[in-house]
Amino acid sequence: MGRTVGIDLGTTYSLVAYMEGGHPRVIRGPYGTPLCPSVVSVDADGRVVVGEPARRRLLTQSDRTIYSVKRLMGRGVADVQDELKLFPFHIDAGSQNVIRVRLGDRVFTPPEISAFILRELKSWAEDFFKEPVDRAVVTVPAYFNDAQRQATKDAGRLAGLEVLRLVNEPTAAALAYGLHEQSAAADGQMVAVYDFGGGTFDISILKLVSTGEGDIYQVLATNGDTHLGGDDIDNVLRAAEWEEIRKSGLNGFSRTGEDAQVLREAVIAAKHELSVLDKTFVKFPAPDGGWYKREITREEFERAIAPIIERTIGPVKLALADAHLQPPQVEEVVLVGGSTRIPLVRRRVEDFFGRKPHFELNPDEVVALGAAVQADILESGVKNMLLLDVTPLSLGIETMGGVIAKIIPRNSTIPASAQELYTTGVDHQTGIDIHVLQGERELAKDCRSLARFQLKIPPAPAGHARVEVKFLIDANGILQVHARDLHTAEARTIEVQPSYGLSDVEVEKMLEDSIEYAEQDFSERQLIEARTESEIILLATSKALADDVAAELSGEERRNIDAAISLLRAAMTGADYKLVRVRVDALNQATMRLAELMMNRVLHVAVEGKRLEEV
Amino acid sequence: MNVSAQTESACWSCHAPHFGGHFCAACGKIQPLPRGTDYFALFGLPQKLWMDCAELEKLFHQLSWKLHPDNFVRAGEYERGLSLERSSQLNDAYRALREPVSRVEYLLAHAGMRKEGAAKQQAPPELLEEVFELNESLDELRAVRASSSDGAELAALKNRLHAEARKFEAKLHEVDEELKRIAVEWDAALDAPADEAKKKALMSWMNDVLNRRSYIRNLVANVQKELAEV
Repeated sequence: MGRTVGIDLGTTYSLVAYMEGGHPRVIRGPYGTPLCPSVVSVDADGRVVVGEPARRRLLTQSDRTIYSVKRLMGRGVADVQDELKLFPFHIDAGSQNVIRVRLGDRVFTPPEISAFILRELKSWAEDFFKEPVDRAVVTVPAYFNDAQRQATKDAGRLAGLEVLRLVNEPTAAALAYGLHEQSAAADGQMVAVYDFGGGTFDISILKLVSTGEGDIYQVLATNGDTHLGGDDIDNVLRAAEWEEIRKSGLNGFSRTGEDAQVLREAVIAAKHELSVLDKTFVKFPAPDGGWYKREITREEFERAIAPIIERTIGPVKLALADAHLQPPQVEEVVLVGGSTRIPLVRRRVEDFFGRKPHFELNPDEVVALGAAVQADILESGVKNMLLLDVTPLSLGIETMGGVIAKIIPRNSTIPASAQELYTTGVDHQTGIDIHVLQGERELAKDCRSLARFQLKIPPAPAGHARVEVKFLIDANGILQVHARDLHTAEARTIEVQPSYGLSDVEVEKMLEDSIEYAEQDFSERQLIEARTESEIILLATSKALADDVAAELSGEERRNIDAAISLLRAAMTGADYKLVRVRVDALNQATMRLAELMMNRVLHVAVEGKRLEEV
Repeated sequence: MNVSAQTESACWSCHAPHFGGHFCAACGKIQPLPRGTDYFALFGLPQKLWMDCAELEKLFHQLSWKLHPDNFVRAGEYERGLSLERSSQLNDAYRALREPVSRVEYLLAHAGMRKEGAAKQQAPPELLEEVFELNESLDELRAVRASSSDGAELAALKNRLHAEARKFEAKLHEVDEELKRIAVEWDAALDAPADEAKKKALMSWMNDVLNRRSYIRNLVANVQKELAEV
């Protein structure tokens, strides 16, 4: 039996953590950071690249690379149509209820792509422990519905991990903070966790109670938006910047492909800087050489993103209402997720709750740390904390006229169950159709279809059959359905057809087919990374050589550059990553003066029209 | 734990006799939940309608601590199933028992005495006149709104409806008070102990009150919905 870890499978970054001596710790990957970008790329040779090297491929091979796949988990093609306008997801024509994404000439489902990320983290952990790792607690947004949770579990399975438990992200963060602060009181303490990440927003209201035996983290209510996050802020900034680019008359810059990724990286960099500075530049290398540079103030930034941040307040109010609390009754507020670094977010949260929120623990790491704590509790059986979480959405069944009958209300503590008795309406009826949905609306068409199934009934007069169906939401927040014939007291098997997801059979087949996306060994990975670096520098060099300033190079300088380029290209076709690295350095050296020339040229693109030295 | 013994059974693991309760007294293994176990019994409480909410919460926390699936992750499949069963029932029970009205609803439903049906849609006789007036006001409101005439007329009508709705909210309060009185009688009847006929009569009365309550609540909700529309 291998080791158990906690994993935060995030929209933008994923992390893996473990417990050591009563403290959770993150595991660092080969780049020395615990943050693994949730980016996956597929080589022309069919090799899968994950993380930082894949992220760089966004700039060179964006049609083979995908980011924010979490946005596609548990959703059908119809659901993501709006997203497609803002994200470069290449959806395969064959997709319907399970999305199929095209990367290069290969097609994958979102759980398969997430599985690559999980495998990467699994290998980090195995490298670290020098032992196999086969079990994990994986976190999900609290507001994820059944299909999204099931997709996450499927991803775990595909990655060769037994998912011991899916834990809601805000609850995991609360665990990490609770351990850190050791602050639970006997009469209960009210805590709000405001989790604003790359793609999802969650608000959870918890009561922390210290009992004789340990601390209970009881979620009272949760709410959120599974499509609201840093990505949306980035998209607003991109759209605004695109307007500026258009006005500036910059030529040859595309709205799609690699150029779109260049712009995206530029606005993200500016966004990060504006958390610390009052103003900065949105800048990127322009297609005709030189740089596009535009000053952006924190004020402009805040004006642009204020509506997005305001969208988080609605769910907060709803959660508080369900918890029967007023903002002042919340004693502690905890900030989680990279987007909570933005000063406007912190101000708005402080405004709303009337107190300063906590952010002592790293907002990027705290969820993974909490997952590790929970993994340890489940593994070791040593329990001093218990999480009592809730289901975020009401569970209902469709009845006559397309109306929903709610059988398990939202924010019910899980596990939770409900029972319904079914009979036939017509003589010799041999099947009863049941449609299960999640959501708060009155009509089935406005709620989220979860699954359909049919009870098989032996022929009998109408009204004779007595089948008791039990709907059970387990500790992962996932639905199980059991049927019992009351006449025979026998359990009946039911085949549930998920509305948006892979069936068990499909997952099994994927595991069997397990095409060799096996973990690359160390040197293979190094080679891939080195090749990616080469691609980037070759691209930059060819752009620079096409620029006017290249004419200022001496004949000898030019020859040196050309030679360095051929040597690098030759090395890239080989398998010696060290040689590739050496040749990359050589090209960097050869192009140093060219780079200087590029930097010194007068900018004719910046709106202010100032020379670089004057800016 | 005070759970009334149903039938004597044996522990599935050590075969010691088991008289009810979440765990075997001898070996400590979690036990299957007998069908039809009522929510009060799950908490080890009598079927009384008055409850100390703080005490109930404490019991809920204590029992959650023992029964939660987290404790059984490494146990066999059978035990994990038992834990899932007991903890989901515990959570369902807490949801039902923590609010006074749902507590009554549950008591009646479990005893097979909860009858809604037509009664839920009919106005209670003593309210017939007020309901009639309210419906008239609602019709007027809809007509004025449709004709989109005089803003002042609309405002006046809205005010009248607000006042009528408030009268019904007051009635709701009266109904809740009545429910409290019956609850006290019920608890006393349990202590006496009263015979089945008396208990049935009380439950029947509670059923009527619940139906009246549902009716008034729906009425008030509908009015508020109409008023919310511009």
